[in-house]
Amino acid sequence: MSKVVGIDLGTTNSLVAIVREGAPVVLADESGDTLLPSIVSAGDRDTVYVGREAQRRLLTDPARTVYSVKRFMGRGIEDVAGESRWFPFKVSGQAGGVVHIHLGERELTPPEVSGFILRELKRRAETLFAREGDFDPGVDRAVITVPAYFNDAQRTATRDAGRLAGLDVLRIINEPTAACLAYGLDKRHQGVIAVYDLGGGTFDISILKVEDGVFQVLSTNGDTHLGGDDIDRLLVEQIVAELGLDPATHAAAVQAIRKAVIQAKWDLSDFDQAEIVVDRIPGRAGPYRRLITRAAFETLIAPIVERTMQPCRCALEDAGLSPGDVDEVVLVGGSTRIPMVRRAVERLFGTAPHSDLNPDEVVALGAAVQADILVSGRREMLLLDVTPLSLGIETMGGIVSKIILRNSTIPASGSEMFTTFVDSQTAVDIHILQGEREMAADNRSLGRFKLRGIPPMPAGLPRVQVRFQIDANGILSVHARELRTNVEQAIEVKPSYGLTDEEVERMLIESFEHAQEDVEARMLIEVRNEAETIMQATEKTFRRPDFDEIAAARLSPAEIASIRSALADLASAMSASDRHLLQAKSQALNDGTRHLAEVMMNWTIQAALAGRTADEVAARGR
Amino acid sequence: MQSDTSAVTIQPCKHCGSQAPVDVHFCPRCDRILTLGRHGDYFTFFGLPRRLHVDVHDLEQRFRALSRQFHPDYFYNSSSTERLASLERSSYLNDGFRTLREPVERLEYLLKLEGFAPKEAHEATSQVPPELLEEVFALNEQLEAIQQMRAGGSAEAEVAVTLEAARQPIQANLDAHERQLNTLMVQHDAQWERGDLAGRHQTLEALRALLVERTYLTNLLATVRRELGGDLAARL
Repeated sequence: MSKVVGIDLGTTNSLVAIVREGAPVVLADESGDTLLPSIVSAGDRDTVYVGREAQRRLLTDPARTVYSVKRFMGRGIEDVAGESRWFPFKVSGQAGGVVHIHLGERELTPPEVSGFILRELKRRAETLFAREGDFDPGVDRAVITVPAYFNDAQRTATRDAGRLAGLDVLRIINEPTAACLAYGLDKRHQGVIAVYDLGGGTFDISILKVEDGVFQVLSTNGDTHLGGDDIDRLLVEQIVAELGLDPATHAAAVQAIRKAVIQAKWDLSDFDQAEIVVDRIPGRAGPYRRLITRAAFETLIAPIVERTMQPCRCALEDAGLSPGDVDEVVLVGGSTRIPMVRRAVERLFGTAPHSDLNPDEVVALGAAVQADILVSGRREMLLLDVTPLSLGIETMGGIVSKIILRNSTIPASGSEMFTTFVDSQTAVDIHILQGEREMAADNRSLGRFKLRGIPPMPAGLPRVQVRFQIDANGILSVHARELRTNVEQAIEVKPSYGLTDEEVERMLIESFEHAQEDVEARMLIEVRNEAETIMQATEKTFRRPDFDEIAAARLSPAEIASIRSALADLASAMSASDRHLLQAKSQALNDGTRHLAEVMMNWTIQAALAGRTADEVAARGR
Repeated sequence: MQSDTSAVTIQPCKHCGSQAPVDVHFCPRCDRILTLGRHGDYFTFFGLPRRLHVDVHDLEQRFRALSRQFHPDYFYNSSSTERLASLERSSYLNDGFRTLREPVERLEYLLKLEGFAPKEAHEATSQVPPELLEEVFALNEQLEAIQQMRAGGSAEAEVAVTLEAARQPIQANLDAHERQLNTLMVQHDAQWERGDLAGRHQTLEALRALLVERTYLTNLLATVRRELGGDLAARL
């Protein structure tokens, strides 16, 4: 029996996990990385790079590199018009239809691009199992997570991405709930839990009641367009404006700024100030440098943090609870490392949030637990999730009639009676919507269908019962039956922002035609990944605010100079494609920094013993 | 003992063909999950008597226990018939839990089951119940007066006082309705215990009328609140 994996398909990073001997573990690639950057890049010919290599290509070939594709899933061109100019890749599509992303010469839908990421994770798992000597290393089934606030179109797009990657998607589960499952393993957690999940591109808040191993979601709220990406963009916009750059013509520079900004954002979680350094800027002689303090950073991001607070209050109200009723708060997503975010959450709920598990990995771990529940039949835990948005249909005058209310436990169903307005009318048009607004035009259109085959009768006489069924994935299906004749009608919903089954089938065939494995290229990428890891670790050490102090006390100028030269050698070898040279230079830097690493480690330990705050030390250890 | 004479009391098992009682979820003979036909109601589904008082804690426990029996998660390796049965039973369970948990929804549901539902869905809102005619008339006059006060440039504080004066009698009436509803609900359950069918039907008829009035009163209060809200919005 092939294995079933849990996948966190994230805006910034994606992960794959599996349950082994009762415990979930995240799977690493050949270089030991668990995070796969959710970036896809088109090389020459038909080569497609995914992950860190694609991330590097974001700086060298930005126009052919796609990131944050999750923000485009199940959406229309009009939804992304405001931000698409900040992306180096081209986005097109017709209003009211699915978005197309230009990946090199190819024009792909978001599920196809996400499919590349999923296929890479599948390959990672299969390679690992094969290396461990598994006789049946194949992975063809998965549980994939989505933001709790994803609508039907976004969920369906995620499921399509799985199918395009050759995965049978057993279940789509919500990220906050998955995190809760990972935490729930130790059975310690009971009572009311709030999960605050601020990721790269999406924000979710879920309120759960945990009792007798049943994880019942009481309410959920969020924003599928709010996350770390928005924080990065605020800083990028400032610098781009300051330098007078045009994102359309200086895509590579914008990406270099974005990379520097992200690094500074991370540093600011550990230190009171950070420097944004961009090596090359068009029309500038030297590198761009700018110091940013944590206070300035917090002033800048305060509106974003504030935007997460209202959904939290709504979720509490929908659950019929007040902040004091929440027993525990769990943090998920990389952006919850930001101290200001933690403070805001603590202030709102009046309780210190905990994040014993790595906020980057906890969702994938939970997905693996759910995968295991599905295939093993383990019954000690059960997840009862809700639908985040009300489902309705358009009625006379463009008003929405709600059929299934938001925060209803799923699976859920509802039905509505339809009749005819003219004699002998045999068809009725039905428009399905998701959202809370009163007018149809203000809600998300999920799809339209024509109810056909109504037996000819005088107007108003037919009684057609349309049944809406939301399954455990939060995905809708529709059935109809004329009650007088008891005729069941087949319904084909034309998705507004999705793919039809035929389109998915066709893409699946095309993707196999393109699939080819270049072993040499892959080995080069692995070596590059390792080289980059060592370089980043070394650079991070140099960036420490106390580095000069440590260097003066423990390191010789000659040693530092030799490390800097090894670092420069490796950097220049990175741009070439000589795998053996790169390997040698990596090794040289690795050997050259061994003593440095020991010094840093000892310094940190001594600092702890000398009575510096434990937090400060822990933060540095990250 | 009460029993609705029209109720179906058995359901067939699609797998082995045997007949199962309507209030069980798994076939007593072959142990497979039963397809959800058009049998029974939320009360029988949860194993509860058709009474208006429900212990919410007990209901939650039943909900969790039943969820554990037939959630789709546990039927991934089963036949497609069983998977569908699990999906339908879980949906019905969730829908039923939502209905039975809220006292008013529960009452509306029971009225419908017993044939006391309002004939038209919007009957409750479009027609003024005769008992409330006077009240509605008075409120409309007050709202008109408020509009004139606003047009005449009266201070918002003054308008708010008038609005509050308009709101209070409606709120008091609504509170009285709630109390009466509770009394009648207790009465209904007592009649159910005694098997007093005629008395029970009378109570249900009274409950139906009260419920229509209550909905109307709630809508009136919403109108006043909107008027207050408009005032706030105008001041900003």
